[in-house]
Amino acid sequence: MDAELVAMQLFSGVALGAILIMVALGLSIIFGMLGVVNFAHGALFMVGAYAGLWVASLTGSFWWGLLVAPVAIGLFGMAIERVLIRPLYRRSVDDPLLLTFGLGYVLVEAVRILFGSDGIPFPTPPELAGVADLGIGFFPIYRLFVVGVVAAVLILVWLCLEKTRFGLIVRAGARDPLIMRVLGVDIARVWLLVFGLGVGLTALGGVLAAPMRNVNPEMGSLVLAEAFVVTVIGGMGSLVGAVVAGLLVGVAISMTALFAPEMATIVMFALMALVLLVRPQGLFGKPGRA
Amino acid sequence: MSTPLLAVENIGRRFGGFVALEGVSASFEPNRVTAVIGPNGAGKSTFFNVLSGVLPPSTGTMRFKGRDLAGTPQHRFAHLGIARSYQITNIFPELSVHENVRIAAQAFRSRYEIWRDRATLTELDDKAAAALAAVGLAHRGSATAKFLAHGQQRALEIAIALVTDPELLLLDEPTAGMGPEETKEMVALIEKLAAERTILLVEHKMKMILGLSDRILVLHHGRLIADGSPQQIQSDPEVRRVYLGQNDGYA
Amino acid sequence: MTLSAQSLDAAPRPLRARLAARRVPLSILALSLLPWILPSEALAVNVLVYGLVAVGYNLLFGYTGLLSFGHAAFFGTGAYVTGIAIGRFDAPLFAALAFGVAAGGALAFVIGLLSIRTRGIYFSMVTLALSQLVYYIALQASSWTGGENGLRGFTVSELNLFGWTVDFLDPVEKYYVIMAFTAAALWFVSRILNSPFGSVIEAIRENETRARACGYDVERTKLISFTLSGLICALAGTLFALHLAIVPLDILHYHTSGMIVMMTLLGGAGSFFGPFVGAFAFLLMEDVVSLWTPHWQIVVGSVFILFVLFLPKGIWGTLMAWRAGR
Repeated sequence: MDAELVAMQLFSGVALGAILIMVALGLSIIFGMLGVVNFAHGALFMVGAYAGLWVASLTGSFWWGLLVAPVAIGLFGMAIERVLIRPLYRRSVDDPLLLTFGLGYVLVEAVRILFGSDGIPFPTPPELAGVADLGIGFFPIYRLFVVGVVAAVLILVWLCLEKTRFGLIVRAGARDPLIMRVLGVDIARVWLLVFGLGVGLTALGGVLAAPMRNVNPEMGSLVLAEAFVVTVIGGMGSLVGAVVAGLLVGVAISMTALFAPEMATIVMFALMALVLLVRPQGLFGKPGRA
Repeated sequence: MSTPLLAVENIGRRFGGFVALEGVSASFEPNRVTAVIGPNGAGKSTFFNVLSGVLPPSTGTMRFKGRDLAGTPQHRFAHLGIARSYQITNIFPELSVHENVRIAAQAFRSRYEIWRDRATLTELDDKAAAALAAVGLAHRGSATAKFLAHGQQRALEIAIALVTDPELLLLDEPTAGMGPEETKEMVALIEKLAAERTILLVEHKMKMILGLSDRILVLHHGRLIADGSPQQIQSDPEVRRVYLGQNDGYA
Repeated sequence: MTLSAQSLDAAPRPLRARLAARRVPLSILALSLLPWILPSEALAVNVLVYGLVAVGYNLLFGYTGLLSFGHAAFFGTGAYVTGIAIGRFDAPLFAALAFGVAAGGALAFVIGLLSIRTRGIYFSMVTLALSQLVYYIALQASSWTGGENGLRGFTVSELNLFGWTVDFLDPVEKYYVIMAFTAAALWFVSRILNSPFGSVIEAIRENETRARACGYDVERTKLISFTLSGLICALAGTLFALHLAIVPLDILHYHTSGMIVMMTLLGGAGSFFGPFVGAFAFLLMEDVVSLWTPHWQIVVGSVFILFVLFLPKGIWGTLMAWRAGR
């Protein structure tokens, strides 16, 4: 076994994991605060990729795509929360979920109408192309970039949640929305922002992933399942869990691809099944949440 | 004196770092009404949750008719003879009033019958009708539960707990949200039930409690600070201190 | 004791109660007429088969209150196992059907076991993920399943029933054979719903914690419901396989699970005949919209969203509630 090959594959797993973390984090934040499992999350990842593609082709620059797409899709997410999901909070717990599922369905088809069903290649921006020699091997610069961006975003999100008043409200509100209302916090606005943030994160994941995969309307479909797997393994509502599980799953897929490529996707589900057997609340989840 | 119906010894319950209950010990004789009182946050709900099997205690033991309840899953408590009503109405909203009670009675059939027509289980219908009559809801049997007035829903709460013929009935604020008239009716009902069962109730209405209970337990910050007859509790200095300034309404 | 009484009794009207008591024969009657009402027998069979999947799913979702997104796994497993039994092992028809149903039911038991132990809101995610696992296994096990190309080579052309030969290639005869199985399944479901078990699952849907406090082992009940639901969906899968003589891989994908959810909701979750109405509405929309655009999914998806927002009881459910005067 070639140590260099292993190192590169491991790193590839970390890069994959980084994308998964973005998606799972978004899902977890939305669930933690709103109690909604966003079944449109995979579709929004895909929409993010397309938005990035579109902005990049308009402006000729990947960087604009990277900046604008997540924000635009995040704003779109806020509109969705306000118009479609908010009326359903008072109803059963399942209704928002069902709505987001329908939304995902519609978004995929809308993209097919607008951009066609075939995949569109997204070229790696020239500034980030090529490999870097880090001594232990040659690592694609773009993937290093992805890991870097995700790490930076994670730090920003952590700072926001731990150090700002908004973050405090998000963390506390998840536990007791009534208290928040009593204290005069505009909880509806917080929900709006949180949903937008969660969607923005997954859209960012989409833009980052675009040069690594074929941009096609189906690309969100596996991502949704992956996000669920990561969330179940990490523990719903746990940000640390999303990070650890994301990395774990990314590396597991990547390393399995080295020995038995056809088992790579299956391994991730098998891991989830194992966690369900042994620790159903997930690695960092709270046991027995009512 | 034979074994008490329920004996709790050194019951404690913590949630992470927060101690909700600590060192609560008491034993309960059959056919008495015991009230559990205390300021908000004293641990009354937690105590009830432990007694009804919703939460296992972090420390201590519970014995019901001499049998240690440790490790008993919540759904077995009803079968043992412990039933509970809830502070926030906890019924089956879309089912009929009759069905709400009948389904509680059905729980005692141990088989998972998928083949039989439930209409043939007439003894359950009879039990349900009897429980509804006992709480004064016999005339509303076919109504959908969610359309009942608040007071009637509270009565339904009790009927659901009652139909299983429990020896120990835990009533969590049965008069919650009720006005003076309805409260009087509920008190009359509880007195009627107390003749045949052991009742533990959590309440805030002091006058009602003093008139109704044989015994009062006072919780404060998770600990049992007083345990005695209504007269003893009323003159207990610690209790007076804890309740100083408390306005319990309907007093 | 007279607590303030209101007169809001919702006594069912006699006609509705009588209809409800005869729901099985009435449903069978309605389904028998389908091939004569609909423009094509293919559509009629699809309504039957997908309606049956939705009926099985409805037992879990509409009546027990559990939103699974993984029922394609049972539908697909029933189809694949039957196809493999006939195509690879030359099994007689009834044996192949029995294997398909048993396999689906066994899978439902396992997936149910793993997913029910999680907290409520997790359930939808876990069922989706576990059924995707089945999809990927089927994709990889291509020597058994045909992989991406699907399973082929198991056409059933005729059926010998007690000396009577049914030409399975004739669309009308095929329809009525499939309908016979569907009718049997409907009768089975109706018995379950009328049974004491049927009351328990509704109580769990209405208030799980109270059901537990009353003395019900909620987890075990959910698992039984999940397994029964899987058995029925697997039966639908076996019939699907017989009908198409192909099993496409997509039958196992969560898109199919989603379609089952949509059909059930469109028709009316928690109503007996609703699932067939939903299957009919969905398939009709697909057929009609496809005439003028290949993008029928956006129409169906938008309609679904509108239903979630404004008509959550579905077509049949709303009709039933309206007639009861609510």
